[in-house]
Amino acid sequence: MAIAAVAVGTPAVASDRSVRWRRLVIPTVVVATICVVGAWIGDGVPTWLDARVRPWSDEVYDWTVQNNGDHWLFTRVFEPIADTLTATNDAVLWALRHLRWPGVLTLVALIGWRTGGARAAIVGMLAMAGCGVLGFWDETMVTIALMLVAVIVALLIGIPLGILAGRSDRAERWLRGVLDTAQVMPAFVYFLPVVVAFGIRVPAAAIATVVYATPPAIRLTSHGLRSVPVVATEVGNSFGCTSRQLLAKVQLPMARRAMLLGLNQVIMMAFAIVVLASMLGVAGLGGRVLSGLQRVQVGQAFAPGLAIVFAAVALDRITTGERAKRGDRVRRRMPAFARGRAHIATIVTVGLVVAVAIIAAGAGADDFPSAFTIDITEPINDAVRWVNDNFRTGVPVVGGTGSFSDFLTLHVLNPVRDLLVDSPWWAVVAASFAIGWASAGWRLAALCGACFVGIAALRTWELAMDTLSQVLVIIAVSVLLAVPIGICVGRSNRAERLLRPLLDAAQVMPAFVYLVPVIFLFNIGRVPGIVASVIYALPPCIRLVSLGLRQVPIAPREAAISFGATPRQELVKVQLPMAARAIMLGINQTILMVLSMVVIAALIGAGGLGLETVYGLTKSEIGRGVAGGVSIVLLAVVLDRVTQSWGTHPRRT
Amino acid sequence: MNGGIMGTWRRQAALLAATGLLLGATSCGDDDGDPAGDGTSAATDPAATGPAATSEAEATQGEAPAEGEGITLAVNPWTGSAVNSHVAKVVLESELGTSVELVDIDENATWPGLDAGDLDAVLEVWPSGHAEDYATYVEEKGSVIDLGLLGPTAKIGWYVPTFVVEQHPELATWEGFKDPELAGLFATAETGSDGQFLMGDPSYVSYDEQIIANLDLPLQFVVAGSEAALITAIQQAVADETPVLLNFWQPHWLQSQVDLTEVDLPEVTDACLESAAAEDGSYECDYPVDELYKAANAGLEEKNPSAFEFLQKFQLTIEQQNEIAAMVDAEKMEAADAAAQWVEANPDVVAAWLT
Repeated sequence: MAIAAVAVGTPAVASDRSVRWRRLVIPTVVVATICVVGAWIGDGVPTWLDARVRPWSDEVYDWTVQNNGDHWLFTRVFEPIADTLTATNDAVLWALRHLRWPGVLTLVALIGWRTGGARAAIVGMLAMAGCGVLGFWDETMVTIALMLVAVIVALLIGIPLGILAGRSDRAERWLRGVLDTAQVMPAFVYFLPVVVAFGIRVPAAAIATVVYATPPAIRLTSHGLRSVPVVATEVGNSFGCTSRQLLAKVQLPMARRAMLLGLNQVIMMAFAIVVLASMLGVAGLGGRVLSGLQRVQVGQAFAPGLAIVFAAVALDRITTGERAKRGDRVRRRMPAFARGRAHIATIVTVGLVVAVAIIAAGAGADDFPSAFTIDITEPINDAVRWVNDNFRTGVPVVGGTGSFSDFLTLHVLNPVRDLLVDSPWWAVVAASFAIGWASAGWRLAALCGACFVGIAALRTWELAMDTLSQVLVIIAVSVLLAVPIGICVGRSNRAERLLRPLLDAAQVMPAFVYLVPVIFLFNIGRVPGIVASVIYALPPCIRLVSLGLRQVPIAPREAAISFGATPRQELVKVQLPMAARAIMLGINQTILMVLSMVVIAALIGAGGLGLETVYGLTKSEIGRGVAGGVSIVLLAVVLDRVTQSWGTHPRRT
Repeated sequence: MNGGIMGTWRRQAALLAATGLLLGATSCGDDDGDPAGDGTSAATDPAATGPAATSEAEATQGEAPAEGEGITLAVNPWTGSAVNSHVAKVVLESELGTSVELVDIDENATWPGLDAGDLDAVLEVWPSGHAEDYATYVEEKGSVIDLGLLGPTAKIGWYVPTFVVEQHPELATWEGFKDPELAGLFATAETGSDGQFLMGDPSYVSYDEQIIANLDLPLQFVVAGSEAALITAIQQAVADETPVLLNFWQPHWLQSQVDLTEVDLPEVTDACLESAAAEDGSYECDYPVDELYKAANAGLEEKNPSAFEFLQKFQLTIEQQNEIAAMVDAEKMEAADAAAQWVEANPDVVAAWLT
């Protein structure tokens, strides 16, 4: 498209021919060469194109299994790390348990008060109490202890690396690939190796969580540093700041909001992996979700899932309170305690919390009082049963979820998959090259082509095409849903208030909770996976669309209105075009989230690359998992870079 | 600007640390104060220290039992596994004075745990799914030892809901599925005109693809992806009275809730078992019977000989296991309570394990 636009739109000047040559002829020649060479090689992926990743990973894993316990790498490096993680976790858990529930609630409230005023204190405390009300107090403490350890480690790694990436372009480029891998590589791929290297339970679970949760800390720290206005750094320089002073006194304080957002995302990511962590022997809330799933009891999985949401909301509210969001304006309205000096506040907090804990111990308040707990299992089971009975068949016009699922499979998924699977592999490589070129030039084109050749070399071509077809459909469905919803939310404060808790919940609620009803409604196959992925990927997309609309400056909108634009025209001709970048960023985030769901979707019949990584969880097939996981990462890189280029390089028309 | 972000974190970290310290000071000696001393408490976790270091890690344990060191048993995510471990825990604690910690863990992660000594034993292993693990850890590395059979046998096979066989008696054996029309009853949007054959968790053993190909059946192999997905598919099919064909097994709690019939496959022959071992893709018979066994870390005998001996003798019949499992599944008792109740009611069974 861009090629055509360039060809048509360039004015007829002297340099026209050379521009056209560069923009059009070179890529055409390259694409043609790929096609000719590809056709000569053959339509199937040739057998010599093999990176031998599977046997190689199997060998590495075997070595790990044979040498753990003896080799210095394990005794000197991994074991001390594992012991430190376990000790920290146990200390935190010990403290939480000895604070007892009144002490923990007081602590949450006071931290919330300090960071975000009364509102954050109340919301945080209520959310935390909610975990107890659901009957999962101790499980929540086990989970929170692990989360805190993982979050601390993630920040210890993430902030220095983020500073590095924020100050060096080269570091940023190198880290980007690593971060994408960490975020998209399915945890199943490294579960067993991590277990072998670090041991089951806390160490393995904490490390798996850290791998997944660190990227936002790095990304947002770097982003924060990079968005510090040049004026500020120049003022610093002109006053003779050393580089170190500049960082500590100008850049980091000004990047504070981005870094707090990073902390928030670290917590959300960490909670997203709670259920998987419980497979490694840390019981907690995740274990309860899994045992509910094991019995195929939605209510039994939903209740602990809701507790996970509550715990995440509590930590979110008290770490990124209102003050962080609204700046110092709120601060003036805050109580004296919260405005006071740090060490006084700390002493008061510690004193109060300990006093409450001692009183609670004296009163024998060991467990969360059962008089306050509510069992929501049965109501949820009833609700799910009702939905199953009423939506699966017999819905007027559409027929029901079952027939919708068949329709989607036969008329959307199959054609897209057939197109991708049946095309010669070189045609897909050539097409990705062309799309890359049209989007951002030869670098991206080369990257896209290389990624697809890489997938071929991993020997996962057909599975990757199957997964790619599903991912494309999921992205299309998500965008079709998210843009209108995002527009509603972006234009109405009421809709935003209504939707916000739902979006929070959809993002943190473990997908395992809604897998069973989704299968029941949509039948085993690719469709339930698609539905689950859409539920998970929708929130960030809606958020970013609405954020984009809200960030459109008032002046152009008023100008449009004064020129007599109807609200519709104002939306379509002013707001949406000006929000285009944020919307593209939303689509970009959606893609990464969808790819991180590929494995979960495979657990309910989606097959494809996700299933390969589930195979990888078994000892004998570890290499299979690695090949599948790397293929997912390569797909993610292509989709991410292409959509990112659409967001940052507005096309010339 | 008061502090900035680093300041905030430093404050909060300091606050947390100070809280911990103060609490430590105020509640010292209050050892019974652990309101929920299950699972993850510090003292009982030998954590990643490997077999050699385990003893010193455990030596510091506060509540050391009179005899033998505390041990950890794996609980894999199904009722049978929980039942075995809870029964063993009750007896070990009351009769042998060995404290037992139970660890809920994935069955594949169990083996590296046994290897490193983070777990001392697992009481129910399904051999078909862990041939590789057995070869690596028991035969090659010797870090895990076979503790003998648990007692119950299990059987994987092809299952259909019983109403399917009632409507189409031909489908009671595999030959019925040769008829494309009958196999077509199992077709879905995903499989087109072929019948769908569902397999659950891909980490479970499966020769189904080979059986389908070698017996030339018009079926398509579909991996549901997880046991929960498989069970949902069965429940859905039964609710709708639609046919479904799947890889399933006995014992399983669902068997008592849903009426399933096993499809007869060609008899197991030596040639067939050889082809399974050779992995040559020519498997074309029924699944062999699985004899469930127990496994332990190789250091357990030295660490706690009496517990080791007990776990070697520990056996449950399928009826006994089902009886306790039913208390958990049907009567919704906690596994710990069910185990305690059963142990009390069956002193002679317990006595046999202790002689």
